[in-house]
Amino acid sequence: MSKILQLALGILAAIGGFVDIGDLVFNVEAGATLGYQLLWVVVVGVVGIIVYSEMCGRVAAVSKRPVFDAIRERLGFGVGLGALVASQVVNLMTLAAEVGGVALALELISGLPYRVLIVLGIVALGVVIWTTPFEWIERIFGYGGLALLVFVVGAIKLHPDWGGVATGFVPHVNTPDKLVYAYFAVGLLGAAMTPYEVYFYSSGVVEEGWTPKDLGLNRANAIIGYSLGGTLSLALMIGAAALFLPLGVDPQFIGTVALGAQVPLGTIGLLLALVGILFAVGGAAIDTCFSGAYNVAQFFGWEWGKLRRPSGAPRFTLAWIVLLVLALLVIMTGVDPVLVTEYAVIFSVVALPLTYIPILLVANDRAYMGLYVNGRLANAFGLLYLVVILLVSITAIPLMILTHQGQG
Amino acid sequence: MSSARELDLGVGVLDHQLVDCEGRRCGNVDDLEVEGLRAGEPRVAAILVGAPVWRGRGLLGRLAAFIVRGQTVRVPWEEVERIDAAVHLRKTARELRLGRGDDRARKWIEWIPGS
Repeated sequence: MSKILQLALGILAAIGGFVDIGDLVFNVEAGATLGYQLLWVVVVGVVGIIVYSEMCGRVAAVSKRPVFDAIRERLGFGVGLGALVASQVVNLMTLAAEVGGVALALELISGLPYRVLIVLGIVALGVVIWTTPFEWIERIFGYGGLALLVFVVGAIKLHPDWGGVATGFVPHVNTPDKLVYAYFAVGLLGAAMTPYEVYFYSSGVVEEGWTPKDLGLNRANAIIGYSLGGTLSLALMIGAAALFLPLGVDPQFIGTVALGAQVPLGTIGLLLALVGILFAVGGAAIDTCFSGAYNVAQFFGWEWGKLRRPSGAPRFTLAWIVLLVLALLVIMTGVDPVLVTEYAVIFSVVALPLTYIPILLVANDRAYMGLYVNGRLANAFGLLYLVVILLVSITAIPLMILTHQGQG
Repeated sequence: MSSARELDLGVGVLDHQLVDCEGRRCGNVDDLEVEGLRAGEPRVAAILVGAPVWRGRGLLGRLAAFIVRGQTVRVPWEEVERIDAAVHLRKTARELRLGRGDDRARKWIEWIPGS
């Protein structure tokens, strides 16, 4: 296969794989609550994930160190263990939310009872992970997730106020409740910069044996994949703003999200939206599950790898099985997946600095990185985003409490 | 280690991945045993691996060592072949008694078809 085709296929899968339940929930709620005002935050978040995912990929390709290796090495065992526990809690919450999202999408498609579909969903995910080569998992879920593009068509068909959309890309506050504005801004950043994405990506880079020769591909993946994926987030918010804000609807249900495609495009829109949600969220569930297993295996030095046979990395395999079972238990309690998503995103924001500070340190270490150490541009952006990350990390939980999760 | 390059043990060795001579990941450098401190000629005698070692690694390390059972495995420094991103060992994990957790865990999943 030619390199360009390979790149194109990879990018298609990345677009479909960009959106997870956190993006669905926060973009749609932000649009429904504040209109187009927070579109600029999506751009800030997407640039942030491009900066750090490029850095993680480069560190992994040059130094052969995935993210959690760097975390333990730079933070030491004690603090590193704290980072591990925090990231595993967030991972589990995210996984539980994604599994809930899969079950809800299946429920809307099939009409079967929700709890039965949770179990079916978990079993299906487990079987897919066990039996399907990873390359295919990535493609199936990535391409399936492309059905979410229906939200782009939907957003256009809803005839948004394009002038309002344009001003949304310029930071401004046009609401009496500034705290709600700040809460959604923090949530959108968290949803775009979810740390499990970089754990997963950097481990994949090590596993596939990328070298400095692949750094061009790494950069292209980050920049093109995430920017195009980010347009889906923008479309979700624009559609929600055009549809829900005038009606005063607060979309607290995954089915409401699909209205952004159903109202302008009818049944076919609804179906594509649900299929897109199913694959995007299902793919994200698998990535999250693997991220949790990567983190614990890398922290303790166990054998790991999704390209190996399950018995080739036994504790890694047990780790993802245990995570799936725990997610099942969490979501079977009947807790609302949208609520779990909000908690997961906000807590992930709190833990963000523990992930990104070690990466920035290692990316600047000439002893590991040699010629490929961070340049001025990467450092300028890296430091700028570190300030942003620290700021949102400190304010996330107070904002969540003060605004009753954005309810005002 | 025969080459005479300067290495920061805290950043360059501690907490690094151990890889055996067959390329198998078999633990992390949990601590280092240093000799000759009193004589003023410190040298690394061994790599220490295992839950009991975490006791010396901060408050959370002590807590983790209390919760997780396990044995300390001592890998003499002579068994280190080279150090890059990982610490590469001259022998197999089995010979050095490393990675036994993976050997035990394998029994749990071996019975599943396709493992």
